Amino acid sequence: MTETAASSTRRTRQRGGSSRWYGAAAPWVFLAPFLTAFILFRLGPVIAGFVISLTRWSIVGSPTWVGLANYRAMLRDPLFHTALLNTLFFVLLTVPAMVALSLGLALLVNVPLAPRIFTRTSVFLPYVVMAAVVGVIWNWMLDSNFGLVNYGLMLVGLGPYRWLTDFSLAMPAVAGVTIWWTVGFNMIIYLAGLQEVPRELEEAAMIDGAGSLAVLRHVTLPILTPTTFVVLMLTTINAVQVFDQIYVMTGGGPGTATLTLVQYLYYQAFQSYNLGYGSAVAYFVFVLLAVFGIIQLRVVRQQAAS
Amino acid sequence: MKNRAIIRMAVMAAVLLVALSAGSAWAQAPVTIDFWGGWTGPDRGVMENLVNQYQGQNPGVKVNLFTVQWTPLFDRFLTSFRSGDVPDVLAMHWQDIATFASKNLLQPVANDVAAAGLKADQFAQTAWNGTFWNGTQYAFPLDLAMHGVFVNLDMFKAAGLDPSKLPTTGAELVSAATKLTIDQNGKHPGDSGFDATKVKQWGFGINSNHHAFYYFYALLAQQGTSFLDPAGTKVAVDTGKAERAWQWIQDLVYKHKVVPTGQTNAFQDWVTGRVAMAVDGPWQLPAVQSAPFAWSTTTFPNVFGKAAAWGSGHILTLPVKNDPAKRQAAIKFTTWLLNNSAGWGTSGNIPAKLSARQAQEFKALPGRTAFIDSLPFVVALPDIPKTNQVFSAAGPSPIVVAAQNVILKGEPVAQALKQLIDGANQILATP
Repeated sequence: MTETAASSTRRTRQRGGSSRWYGAAAPWVFLAPFLTAFILFRLGPVIAGFVISLTRWSIVGSPTWVGLANYRAMLRDPLFHTALLNTLFFVLLTVPAMVALSLGLALLVNVPLAPRIFTRTSVFLPYVVMAAVVGVIWNWMLDSNFGLVNYGLMLVGLGPYRWLTDFSLAMPAVAGVTIWWTVGFNMIIYLAGLQEVPRELEEAAMIDGAGSLAVLRHVTLPILTPTTFVVLMLTTINAVQVFDQIYVMTGGGPGTATLTLVQYLYYQAFQSYNLGYGSAVAYFVFVLLAVFGIIQLRVVRQQAAS
Repeated sequence: MKNRAIIRMAVMAAVLLVALSAGSAWAQAPVTIDFWGGWTGPDRGVMENLVNQYQGQNPGVKVNLFTVQWTPLFDRFLTSFRSGDVPDVLAMHWQDIATFASKNLLQPVANDVAAAGLKADQFAQTAWNGTFWNGTQYAFPLDLAMHGVFVNLDMFKAAGLDPSKLPTTGAELVSAATKLTIDQNGKHPGDSGFDATKVKQWGFGINSNHHAFYYFYALLAQQGTSFLDPAGTKVAVDTGKAERAWQWIQDLVYKHKVVPTGQTNAFQDWVTGRVAMAVDGPWQLPAVQSAPFAWSTTTFPNVFGKAAAWGSGHILTLPVKNDPAKRQAAIKFTTWLLNNSAGWGTSGNIPAKLSARQAQEFKALPGRTAFIDSLPFVVALPDIPKTNQVFSAAGPSPIVVAAQNVILKGEPVAQALKQLIDGANQILATP
């Protein structure tokens, strides 16, 4: 009897041990396909990129270890400085405008009026167009001598402006196109956020005598804080990583007026075959984004706490 | 014993039969050649036709033509040495050889060229020279192209100019362009009341990309000076002559006012009838065939007394690869392409081989005369291992930045030149 009880307990323990093991392993089994792809195609290249940034390498042959030389050269490189300043200028031109405009558009198309589907679709539609197509179309539209934009402006006695070939106008022009192209995506995020705003809170505020602006300021916007954080983060990341539309529309020119960090990275790594230097610039972009992210997170947390 | 011997013989016969049939099957298996080029315009279709023609004549050979723009093509070529997917034939330009030969990625081909019966006197001299780097021949010369001027003859006649006397010098070109530039009130540059912001027809068009540097490069050659020292290690240009070259280009926009300010695509403006003349290359010829106006071409203007026009050409190289059978097939295909390159002329490119240029098929093509006339005075970019950096067509290479500072910004030419020299020297000095 005693022996039987002992063996039964042992079996139970064994079963318990196996089930605990299965319990611990199960999530990893489910995660395995994603993790494999993540390590192979994301984490691996990220680590490899950092190692490459410490070398001089032109794809062919063996890399030469140079330590931090690429990072030191980067700090002395006037083109890198130009690219950094241009990138920050682009962030400044697009991020606040994108957040404010997308919120405004979301509020506008959230009003239950008949053409709501039409307005939502028309604002979002440019976002589904490929960057190359956007670039080519706007290149024609903004042509300084024969473009549609200048034609329209000249009809009312303005211009002509050299949108993409004037050193001071090129970056604002590209920023304007970027806003037109991508604002619809942010609007959709805000629109989703607006559906989460409890209607009864807004109604209670209005019963208490708050006007539309007061409701927006004291009820809607605070509730939308997490959404604003997401929009701000995504817009900042996209702005710092801007490449496609600049590559097609200006190629970084005129001169270096629209040369951005990722454009410069591409030029160094894939056109000049300086893979080590290009990787160093890529890591700088990564650090820059991390800094932006931390600042934004702290600001949003402080706002939420207050 | 007898039975055993019979069985042994039968087995041997069977093995022999199988081996022979397999050998015959192997002999019949098509050899596949991977042929890479950067032709993504109308030239792609022309090359596809030539490849199909070759395959039709050589059923035992399959040619895989892969085309993508030049920069990603070369990126892919470099990475192919890691993946083992190296092409058998790679097209490039004269000035690209050093970049790849200096990395030991190309095979010398002088013996193969000679064995194929190809000799220097069968080709345009500059095209033949373009296959060499450091005294070693690395390529087969396919074609060449150079700058020339496209002229809208209808506009020329309407301006009272003689279409049989197209401009060939700098002064003639400026004079004609002035008459061809008309504002909304019918005034020309230099006329009292001419309004450069309301021009309905411009006289001349230039590009503000790397091609603007090529104009400058030709104007240096016209003055008998070169951009780099003979070893290609630093900029050694005569700054006085270099400033004169940039100044002539800048004056077209700001002094003579015959070129639209901020112009980015001269040929597009010309083919749509917005400018009367434009500098470009013969690769644009396929797009002109259906132009709704009478047109012709003339040579790049001789501004400083000695004719010179920038030019380059396509060459066919054999990347380093250890497959003798494919190498022989690649040489045979490449030689065939050169010997049948008259058809390649429809892509706009001028065949390097004299016999192809003399073929009736090529002679019948319109608009080639001015480019063929330019053959004796084509000047090529220096072929140095850092060509892809110093003379890169992509911004922010020093040549693109300089061209845009001169043409689009109107920066003093001495300042733009200094920036160009410093930028190029910095790249050349970096290990």
